[in-house]
Amino acid sequence: MSATTRTVVDSAEQEVTVPPPRRSWPRRLLLAVLVVGTLALPLALDSGELAVFVQVALSACVVVGISLLMGYAGQVSLGQAVFYGVGGYTAALLSMYGAPTLVGLLAAPLVAATIAVLLGLPLLRLRGHHLAFATIAVHMMFLVLVTQSDLLGGSTGLQGIPLLSVADREISTNLGHAYLAWAVLALVVIIALNTVRSRPGRALRALAGSETAAASSGIPVGRYKLTVFALSAAFAGAAGGVYAFYIGFLSPGMFPVTMSITYVVMAVVGGLGSVWGAVAGTALVTVGVHFLTLWGTAEGMPDYAPSVFSYAVYGIALVVTVLFLPHGVVPALRRLRFRRARSCEGKVKRGCSPGSRR
Amino acid sequence: MIEFFTHVLSGVAVGCGFALVGSGLVAVYRVTGVVNFAQGMFAVVGGLCASTFLAAGLWHGVAELSAVAVAGAVGALTWALALGKPGTSAMNALIVTLAVGFLGYAVLVSVFGDTPRSSTGLAGMTSVFGVPVRTHHLLVIGVTAVVFILLWLFLTRTYLGKALTACATNPYAARVIGIPVARMALFAFVLGGILGGLAGVLLIPLRPMSFNSDVSLIVHGFAAAILGGLTRPMVALAGGVMLGVVESLVAGYANPAYQTMVALMVMLVVMVWHAARRPTLHQEVTV
Repeated sequence: MSATTRTVVDSAEQEVTVPPPRRSWPRRLLLAVLVVGTLALPLALDSGELAVFVQVALSACVVVGISLLMGYAGQVSLGQAVFYGVGGYTAALLSMYGAPTLVGLLAAPLVAATIAVLLGLPLLRLRGHHLAFATIAVHMMFLVLVTQSDLLGGSTGLQGIPLLSVADREISTNLGHAYLAWAVLALVVIIALNTVRSRPGRALRALAGSETAAASSGIPVGRYKLTVFALSAAFAGAAGGVYAFYIGFLSPGMFPVTMSITYVVMAVVGGLGSVWGAVAGTALVTVGVHFLTLWGTAEGMPDYAPSVFSYAVYGIALVVTVLFLPHGVVPALRRLRFRRARSCEGKVKRGCSPGSRR
Repeated sequence: MIEFFTHVLSGVAVGCGFALVGSGLVAVYRVTGVVNFAQGMFAVVGGLCASTFLAAGLWHGVAELSAVAVAGAVGALTWALALGKPGTSAMNALIVTLAVGFLGYAVLVSVFGDTPRSSTGLAGMTSVFGVPVRTHHLLVIGVTAVVFILLWLFLTRTYLGKALTACATNPYAARVIGIPVARMALFAFVLGGILGGLAGVLLIPLRPMSFNSDVSLIVHGFAAAILGGLTRPMVALAGGVMLGVVESLVAGYANPAYQTMVALMVMLVVMVWHAARRPTLHQEVTV
């Protein structure tokens, strides 16, 4: 097997361990514990930690999209923060010009997805590093256009974004925003899991391996790539909409190019192609950065310490994951469990994923 | 008219910097198939080191050369992380170079702080056919010309250069005739570091640099190099100079805010055009 075909096979086998959804009771119990834990956790957090809690949910929405895009469809995007920004500006503009805030929030993912379709039509012909640089280029263009736009407030940005109100009740507290953000994330996870386990999800995995082979088995490659790109943009847009209401102001400086890359870091750490991995990776990286930043702002530390620490976390987390856990944290844990189950039975378990061969 | 030529010449000078970054990308990509995202960081390392060494009182020449040497060493470190572990695929290596970029940020901020730095470069103006030009622009153009001639001689006239080209053309055949492909990859990264470092050293008097200037540099370098499919250093030179001139004219006669849009649009159009002309199967085998 030559080197080139090997990489193609590798990407096809990228850990996408999706065992058939067996609704066994330990799985249900785990899910219930997770849900109850997530609902109870914010009650015990102080305001600084609550901000991290909200940030985890919002980033995780974007990262789930990237994980689908990179892990399933095999398309790299280093510009995903653009859709986060588009969602934020959409929600902010609509609600500042008098539309009901809920309409603004609902429009955010739609506008982001529409822009993704328009961008994806030419750009999704590209793949690999070409697509990576094209999406960075889109991000830089977005920043230039926003900075030059009077409607979007230029480099000073938009201020005085109203609070989100649902059924005449304003969401004003951090706690309210925390539940809102996690509700959006729950919706994103449900949509993502259903996509992954559907026929189009399997088709996406096929086209990640080889678009030619997928096309020759009758998969509408272009349409599916565009759909998953739009879906990931919609996830990011929804998160951006919530962010705009939560933070109350927006400026282009809040969406630097590095932000898009940090999302990729989180997706890789959690495990590309794993929806739960995306959530776990985001939580690990965000919480890690938070604690090191706290340490960096402690007395006796130089004033550049927090930014140095956060860059170091992103860099080290990414290097360690790619080199030592190439499939990410969650798939590695899952594989460990598979291996244990296999060695107990002393034979290959039926329904094992192809990923567990290696 | 004189104003026009001044814009063109300053554009050529900045474009030479882009071309050096781009040729560093080419050097690494040809041999390893890895698009080195840390290439812009090499330039920032070179530039910031040069300005610091000069501020510390080192002589001109010594300061610049040691800055380039530091950038070359950073190139070797990047190789160790990106390809040091056997069996790392090209896409994973690209992701590792993203991580190297972050690590570079951490080191650069803690060593140089996060404020932009500049250095004086060659002071004074020179007149070329009646057009007043900053002498430093001429220096940048001259050094770049010499570097590209040396690069061409190196790649076509020396054993090491030919071995690098062999690895680029057919890694399997190169290995069969006894060329150490892994070591050649290391050479390629060091060469990339040196070219990037040179770009930084030459550009820092023209535009102040801070740790996060690398994104703009890498995108311009990539835009210059993609014209030649990331494999031809001389096309990267032409592409870089063209981008520099067009951007300088846009900044001079239109809105400076839109000058980077030129490189971005050129890059997108070239890539989409390339992709449209090549069938998917062909790309899947080679990319």
